[in-house]
Amino acid sequence: MSDMLQVAKKEIKVGFRNPWAYSFLVLFSVFSLSLLLINSQNEISGYSGVTGSMLSLILYLLPLMSLFLGSFSLTAEKEEGSWQLLSTYPLGTLSFMLGKYFGLSVVLLTIISFGYGLMGIVTVLVGKMFEVNTYLLFLSFSCGLVLLFLALALWIGTLAKNRWQALTISVMIWFFTVIAWPTILIAVLGFLPYLWIKPLLVIFTFLNPAEFVRLFVVIKLGGGSVLGPEYYQWVGWIHSASGSFSFFVLFLVWLLFSLTCVCWIWERRRSRA
Amino acid sequence: MKGKNALIFCVFVLFLTGQFSLDFSRVHASNERYKVSSNDSVPSLQDIIDKAKPGDRIVLAEPKYSGPVVINKRLEILGSENVLLINDKPEPAITIQADGVTVHDINVLQKHAGEESTAVHVQADRVTIRNLKIRTRGFGILLRNAENCILENNNITWDTSQGKSAIGQKGNGIDLFKSNHNRIANNKISNMRDGIYLDNSKSLDIVENMIFGSRYGIHCMYIDGTKIVGNIGEYNMTGAMIMGVRDVLISDNSFAKQKNNANSQGILLYDVQTSIVQKNSIEGNRVGIYLERSSQNKLSHNSIYRNFVGIQFVNAENNIIQNNDFVANVIESEANDSQSNQIEHNFWDSAKVLDTNHDGNSEIKYSINPFYRNLISETPAYQLFFQSPGISFLSGMYEHDQNSWTTDSSPRMKLNQPAIISSTIADKRLLPEKTFLLIIASMLLLISGLTIIYSRGSKT
Repeated sequence: MSDMLQVAKKEIKVGFRNPWAYSFLVLFSVFSLSLLLINSQNEISGYSGVTGSMLSLILYLLPLMSLFLGSFSLTAEKEEGSWQLLSTYPLGTLSFMLGKYFGLSVVLLTIISFGYGLMGIVTVLVGKMFEVNTYLLFLSFSCGLVLLFLALALWIGTLAKNRWQALTISVMIWFFTVIAWPTILIAVLGFLPYLWIKPLLVIFTFLNPAEFVRLFVVIKLGGGSVLGPEYYQWVGWIHSASGSFSFFVLFLVWLLFSLTCVCWIWERRRSRA
Repeated sequence: MKGKNALIFCVFVLFLTGQFSLDFSRVHASNERYKVSSNDSVPSLQDIIDKAKPGDRIVLAEPKYSGPVVINKRLEILGSENVLLINDKPEPAITIQADGVTVHDINVLQKHAGEESTAVHVQADRVTIRNLKIRTRGFGILLRNAENCILENNNITWDTSQGKSAIGQKGNGIDLFKSNHNRIANNKISNMRDGIYLDNSKSLDIVENMIFGSRYGIHCMYIDGTKIVGNIGEYNMTGAMIMGVRDVLISDNSFAKQKNNANSQGILLYDVQTSIVQKNSIEGNRVGIYLERSSQNKLSHNSIYRNFVGIQFVNAENNIIQNNDFVANVIESEANDSQSNQIEHNFWDSAKVLDTNHDGNSEIKYSINPFYRNLISETPAYQLFFQSPGISFLSGMYEHDQNSWTTDSSPRMKLNQPAIISSTIADKRLLPEKTFLLIIASMLLLISGLTIIYSRGSKT
């Protein structure tokens, strides 16, 4: 436990020395202020086209940010040889990995909190109104996205040999999960029997953190009928208390699974080295 | 939230039915001219009416009377909220055959079930029916060849005490045939087949009625010159179904949450000409406004929110669609064989707009990209991709046959009507929003600032 805390502390320290973190901080702050400007033109509470485009903007930036910061941090360990050194110490791989994860989460969540905090204060000072409910939902949406994509980033950091590889894979994963996702699914599912499409689509949606977090927020924002008659049960279910709980469970399962796999790979490599 | 609404609705229905049982249990007595002695047996209302002279006023004092009754002379019959007329015969509980009859403040229970069963049957002119609480296993109020009648503040509901019924077995709440110049106002109708059914009747006023849980809220055919104003319909299959009419005004109505049926619409217009549909609020339906074979209508200042399809045209031409607000509809507009509709100055929440001359209208026209609609009409499962960033990316690449897209020549920059407050968001306000937001935002900023400073300053 204390090992894990040490690793996390070091990660936070290194994280905030990293110029990347600050460039993302500035980028995200500017970005959140522009979100505020967009939202100020919106007179409608609940889900509307404007909220939709705000969600899309967040979906473009945050996954990319967490993928970069997360995967670089792990590949740096390999490139700079600090992992080789740490391997000789009595430090568990699990503690190391968890420490890394928590440290990086703190860095990323700090960036997000800064951006949202700034946006909130400017909102109040300028007198533009941002509904508290929407604000909180957006904040949690962003945190959820960052935490899930950080788990993906650890995967990338594990599989990539160096930073360049990590960069390439990160961009690829980002493009695949955020932009090309519907295109690829529509193309592939088109070849399958009609009745398979919906169940497969649902399964794939659960595999893509960007998608399931987005859908959860869309429904929570009251875009009840936006998913159409095909998914009315979903809407009812997500609005109920068990919906939020199951979402949380799914979220945890996702994190635990990724972290376990990543740990296992590192442990195997460690024992072979 | 859907579940919550359903709960509220159930409570509402329970409240309505509970109201009746309370009413029946209390006893109240007052009379003016006819004192009815209290017997153990339930007195027959027909006997009292037979004894009365035309022009008399009858005040009912007993808690219970038995039907059926036929009123064939001009009378005023007044009950109170504790007077109940029970009828278990197939004939209507009250049949009105004389002009100028007034009936008010009576609870009516029409127990006989069946196609022909009716609680109140009006076959005369200038009849007033007010404050009736009707529970029926057939129709509620029927008007046949009746003119200049007033139906006000009545409460009509399906009698569920003998078990549930399918919608096909139920009757209509208020049903008019060949009855012109009538006024139907402030009635509450729930769980019937059609809330208000109007057939071959002209120049009616349908004002501020509330209709819940029925098949069609307001169903009309051939009712030229009618005004349908300020009505509320929720959880019906279709809010208003308007067919084969000219010169109708449909204004200030609210039709919401009608989506449990695959074909449910807010307002359906079929073969409607030269009519005005304005200032209606249409929220959360499968199809907001549906126009078929209709022309030269003007649809303006309607708020069309969160419907699956905002507005749908089928063979509808030369209509004017102006100054409406389209917000968060999955498919904003769908058109088949419908050219030459004049669509302008509407607010579309997903339109890209630019106002260079500050007249409140965009100089860029808005064409609705049908890519997503085509995609999900083939495979509804893809609705999961609604407004996903990838879909905007894909539709952006689809530019095929732009001339046939529904186009608003100059969309509005801002909402034309005040926004509808979504019930899902509005019910959570404990602290003043601003203070709350300020506290949260400052905490976030403070914590993040401290984290950065602390981690940079600390020594390993």
